[in-house]
Amino acid sequence: MTTETCDIVLSGKLVNGADKDQVQQKLGTLFKTTEAKIAELFTRAPVAIKKSVDVSTAQKYQRAIEKAGAECVLKTQQPPVAKEQQEPSLSLVPMPEQQAEKVEPTGVQKPKKPGYDFEITGQPDYSFLTVQIPANETLKVEASAMATMDTNIEMKTKLKGGFGRFLTGESLFINDFTAANGPGEIGIAPGAPGDLLHQYLDGNTIYLQNSAYVASTADVTVESKWQGMVKGFFSGESLFLIRCSGKGDLWFNTYGAIIEIDVEDDYVVDTGNIVAFTEGLEYTIRKVGGYKSLFFSGEGLVCRFSGKGKVWIQTRSAAAFVSWAHWFRPVKRK
Amino acid sequence: MNIELLHRPGNTAAKVTLQPGETCTAESGAMIAMSGHMEITTTTHKKKSGSLLKAVKRVFSGESIFLNHFEPTDKPGEVFFGTDLAGDMIDLTLDNENLIVQSGSFLACEDSIDIGFGWQGFKTLFSGERVFWLNLKGSGKVVLSSFGAIYPVEVDGEYIVDGGHIVAFNETLDFSISKAGKSWIHSFLGGEGLVCKFKGKGTVWCQSHNPGSFGPLLTPNLRARKA
Repeated sequence: MTTETCDIVLSGKLVNGADKDQVQQKLGTLFKTTEAKIAELFTRAPVAIKKSVDVSTAQKYQRAIEKAGAECVLKTQQPPVAKEQQEPSLSLVPMPEQQAEKVEPTGVQKPKKPGYDFEITGQPDYSFLTVQIPANETLKVEASAMATMDTNIEMKTKLKGGFGRFLTGESLFINDFTAANGPGEIGIAPGAPGDLLHQYLDGNTIYLQNSAYVASTADVTVESKWQGMVKGFFSGESLFLIRCSGKGDLWFNTYGAIIEIDVEDDYVVDTGNIVAFTEGLEYTIRKVGGYKSLFFSGEGLVCRFSGKGKVWIQTRSAAAFVSWAHWFRPVKRK
Repeated sequence: MNIELLHRPGNTAAKVTLQPGETCTAESGAMIAMSGHMEITTTTHKKKSGSLLKAVKRVFSGESIFLNHFEPTDKPGEVFFGTDLAGDMIDLTLDNENLIVQSGSFLACEDSIDIGFGWQGFKTLFSGERVFWLNLKGSGKVVLSSFGAIYPVEVDGEYIVDGGHIVAFNETLDFSISKAGKSWIHSFLGGEGLVCKFKGKGTVWCQSHNPGSFGPLLTPNLRARKA
C-alpha cells in the first residue's frame, strides 16, 4: 500500500442526468448532515471536502459520492502518475460517520503501518473491534470484553499492575490472548454501547479514565496511576487513571460518541465525560461558576485542563444515566 | 450563536459556538465540555432574575428547572451539550412565536428567547411522570433533545399523540386530553391511557421512545432505594 495522500474535491458538477435536489439529499444522508450544508458546499464548488486522505480511502469516498450523483475529483498531492500505481486495499474501512467539512476522530481508522491489522464496525453507536493477531504475538484485552475468537488463540489471565488494579474497580484484570501456531482473529466488544478509538503509541503517553481501556499490544505498558486524594475523590467513580505508554496499538472505548478536542490553552470537561487525554496536560478539579452554580448548575465539579494536548470526551455519561434511572428504582418498604 | 449537531442520531451532542457578547441558556447538567474562558451563571429563569429560595421551592414542587447561562469572555468560545439518555437532537429557529416544550426535551436556546414556566396545559395529567411544560417565546435558535429518534408531524386537522412521546409543539395548535380507545376501559387496558389530541394547523415533534416506558423496564433489575 502506498502512503501517498490526496484531497477529495467536489467539482460541483453532477453526473449525467442526475437531479440536483436528489443528489444533495443523497449526499446529506451519506455524510449525515443536512441538505442545506451540502447545498452550501455546492455553491462553493470546486471545494475540497477532505484533505490528505490515503488514496484507497479517497477512492471509496469517490465511489460513494459518484454513486450519489455528484462529480468528484481526487487531487493527488504527489505526481499524478503515482495514482495508477497504487494497489487496491483489501481491508474494509467503515464508511466515515462525519460531517463533510470537518474531520472527526470517529472517522476512518486504519492501522498506521507499524500496528496490527484491525477493523472497527458499527461506529459510532455500537462499535465492535476485530483485530488480526499475528502468529505467536499477544494482545492484551480488558477482561470480559472478548466476544469471538479463532480456536488457536489461547487466553491467559494475569493480574496486571499488582494491588493497584483492585482499586480501579471495573477492569481488575487484563487477559492475554496469544495466537498460537499461526495468526488468529479476535472480536472485542466493550461493555458500554458507544464508540471505539485507536491510537498508535510511539513513545508517547495517554491517560485513560478507568473504564475506557479496551485493548493494547504487548509493548504498551498499562498501569494505574493514583490521582491524589482530592482529584480522585471528586472525579466520582474512579480514584485512578490508567496510564498507557510505550510503543504499539491502543484501543479505548466510550459510552456514547467520541469527540476529540485540541486543547490550546485551557478547556473544561465534566468529570463524567472524560475519556482520555495526552500526557503534558495539567488538570485540576474545580467547581464551575460561583457557589450557586456548584450546587444548582447540575455540573458540580468539572475538570479543567490546561496546556497543549488532546482530550477525548464522550457524549454520554454513565453517571448521568444512572442518576436518571435512580428514580425508577423500587422503593424499599419497611 | 452557531449550532452544530454531532454524531446523530444515536449519541448526539450539540456543539454551540458563541461570539463575545452572545449568551446561551441551557438545561442544568447538560454541559459536557467547554472552552476554559466560558463563564457560567446559574438561575431558575432568565438571567439576572429570581431569588434563590423561591427557585429552590419551585424546583421541589416540580415546576421549575435550573438553567445555566454560558457566555464567553473576550474571545469566541464553544460549549458541548449532551443528554442523559441516548437519542437525537434538532435545532429550530423561532421567529416571534411560541413553542411548548416538554421539560425533559429542552436542551439549550439563545438568550433572546424567553423561557416561561407558567404554562398549565396538561400539568395535572402527566404529573405522575414528573413532566411539566416550558413555553419558549420570542425569536432565536432552540435545541431540543429526544429519547430515540425525533420526527415532526405536520398537523392539519386532527392528530393524536401519546403524552410521553411529545417533544414539542407549536402553540398555534389546540389540544385536548382524550382517551385512545372507544371506551375508558379499553383505553386503560390497552396501556395507552390518556392521549393528547391536537387540532388546527402546526407541527408536533415526537420522539420514537418514551422515557416513562423505558424506566419501568429497569425497575425489577435495580436495587431498592430508601423512600
